[in-house]
Amino acid sequence: MLVYAGVLAYALWRSRGLGGLVATLGGIGALLLVVVLWKSWTELLSWSLATLGGAYAATLFVNTARVDEGAPLLGAGLLLCGELAALSLEGRWRIHAEVGVLRGRLLALAVLLLAGLAAAAAVVAAAGAGAGRGLAWTTLGAAAVVAVVGTAVALLRRAERA
Amino acid sequence: MTRFTSARLPGYAGLAAAGLMAGLASGRVELIALAAPFALAAVAGAALARGPALRVRFALDRERALEGDEALATVTVHAETPVDRLEVLLPLPPELAAEHDPRAVSVAAGEPRELEFRVRCERWGAFALGPLLFRARDLLGFHSWEGSAGEPLPLRVYPSVETLRTLLPPLETQVFVGNQVSRAVGDGIEFADVREWHPGDRVRRINWRASARRGELWVNEQHPERNTDVVLFLDTFAEVRVGGRGTHDLAVRAATSLAHRYLQRKDRVGLVSFGGFLSWLLPTSGTLQLYKIVDSLLQTDIVMSYAARGVDVLPPRTLPPKALVLALTPLLDQRSAGALLDLRARGFDLVVVEVSPVEFVKPAADAMSDLSFRVWRLSREAVRARYEQAGVPVVTWREGQPLNVPLEEVTAFRRFARPVRG
Repeated sequence: MLVYAGVLAYALWRSRGLGGLVATLGGIGALLLVVVLWKSWTELLSWSLATLGGAYAATLFVNTARVDEGAPLLGAGLLLCGELAALSLEGRWRIHAEVGVLRGRLLALAVLLLAGLAAAAAVVAAAGAGAGRGLAWTTLGAAAVVAVVGTAVALLRRAERA
Repeated sequence: MTRFTSARLPGYAGLAAAGLMAGLASGRVELIALAAPFALAAVAGAALARGPALRVRFALDRERALEGDEALATVTVHAETPVDRLEVLLPLPPELAAEHDPRAVSVAAGEPRELEFRVRCERWGAFALGPLLFRARDLLGFHSWEGSAGEPLPLRVYPSVETLRTLLPPLETQVFVGNQVSRAVGDGIEFADVREWHPGDRVRRINWRASARRGELWVNEQHPERNTDVVLFLDTFAEVRVGGRGTHDLAVRAATSLAHRYLQRKDRVGLVSFGGFLSWLLPTSGTLQLYKIVDSLLQTDIVMSYAARGVDVLPPRTLPPKALVLALTPLLDQRSAGALLDLRARGFDLVVVEVSPVEFVKPAADAMSDLSFRVWRLSREAVRARYEQAGVPVVTWREGQPLNVPLEEVTAFRRFARPVRG
């Protein structure tokens, strides 16, 4: 919840006249997160993160002047929020875990977050360099999006089968 | 093994896709940056989706235990690929408990891993442990594979036996040799009386002192040592249970202690479980009979039934003549009272040990509850009075009290109240 509040505070700080909208969306997301943690409804977790991400996205349209360099941190923060919520839900099963198991999970999470942060920072840095403009880059970007969407759909189908 | 995918993974993939599409549509790189960690998590999740190759074995170090003992359950896990997190759950009934169950461990490839569960036997009963449930998870918890291992393993937990210093002697003994001094006169050790000598009497039986005083030959008579038949009559129509304690538990514990002690004395002991579910064991002596009785007691349970039962349903050999019938009853059901009074009417030496349910009942503070509690206790007194009118000793055994106390009460009762022979 603290990480979520931090991300929401950052979005509010950048809202500039859209404070009401950002606060409303962030509040709905926070409410969803509370429901997730209270009722163990993990299905709502991504909706909670999406709502907060949407609130942040809204601020981008009033801050059109320059690229927000805090975006990678925000993305990593959202991912951290989701993973901590998942860890909190798993902790309720009262499974006595070995120290090594817990350490391994936290280490993997840290690596994932750092890698995600690095990837996001690379994206922002690449955008700042301005090297990739033109039809070819747009096509490549569109292909990447299609690939990711395809992966998402495949994962969704697999989850439904399971 | 059944595979499951966490709802997070498709959620993250969806968020990544939405962020990328929104970024592409709006031309804002921040949305791409926002989506990048989720895209990476989704890719990592897809990369980790490889099922583990596991062999899990489950064994128990014993099949029998006493209440309060610990049984050791061993789980051996052999993995061909490393398992980052393996959760193992040994499903246990409420009467058994184990520390660190469930537990999560990591298993290296090719190295067998042994997990020990110390199972505390908190209450008697016949249980089946297993099959063992396990779940392997990937490093980030995106995928899990669930399975079970092993067949159900039997574990019989015997009730603890109470030390009984004295036992209730029956009014009449049987014809076989045992440890109970008979009231009859015959060959034995205990002196009974003297009588005039008859031809055929052994010389060693002559009481020389009495003969010298009377001027003719007198011989000693002895009480022979005989065995007895004891039938433990367990009333299983109803019980009062609060939490993990109940009258049925006490009755089973008492029946085990009595059977153990009577069989030690070379008596023949039988068992009648009289309730919604009827079962019996013919009276026999020996250690095997003790195991049979205890095994039968472990399977007795309170079964709700509206069937009107009488002692006629029991095979005649279950209740041999001159047997001492020790009834353990909470005096909650009229059918068992009727059956026991019927036994008394048939001339059986009957003793009723009332396993008191009163201690388990706590009436509410209001006047109506108090009144109903008093009426209930009065009705119990009326049932007791019915037994006493029939010349049956009724003693109360309360939780926490030694079983010797009610048995001594019966001995005292018999000292003053002699049974009427019809």
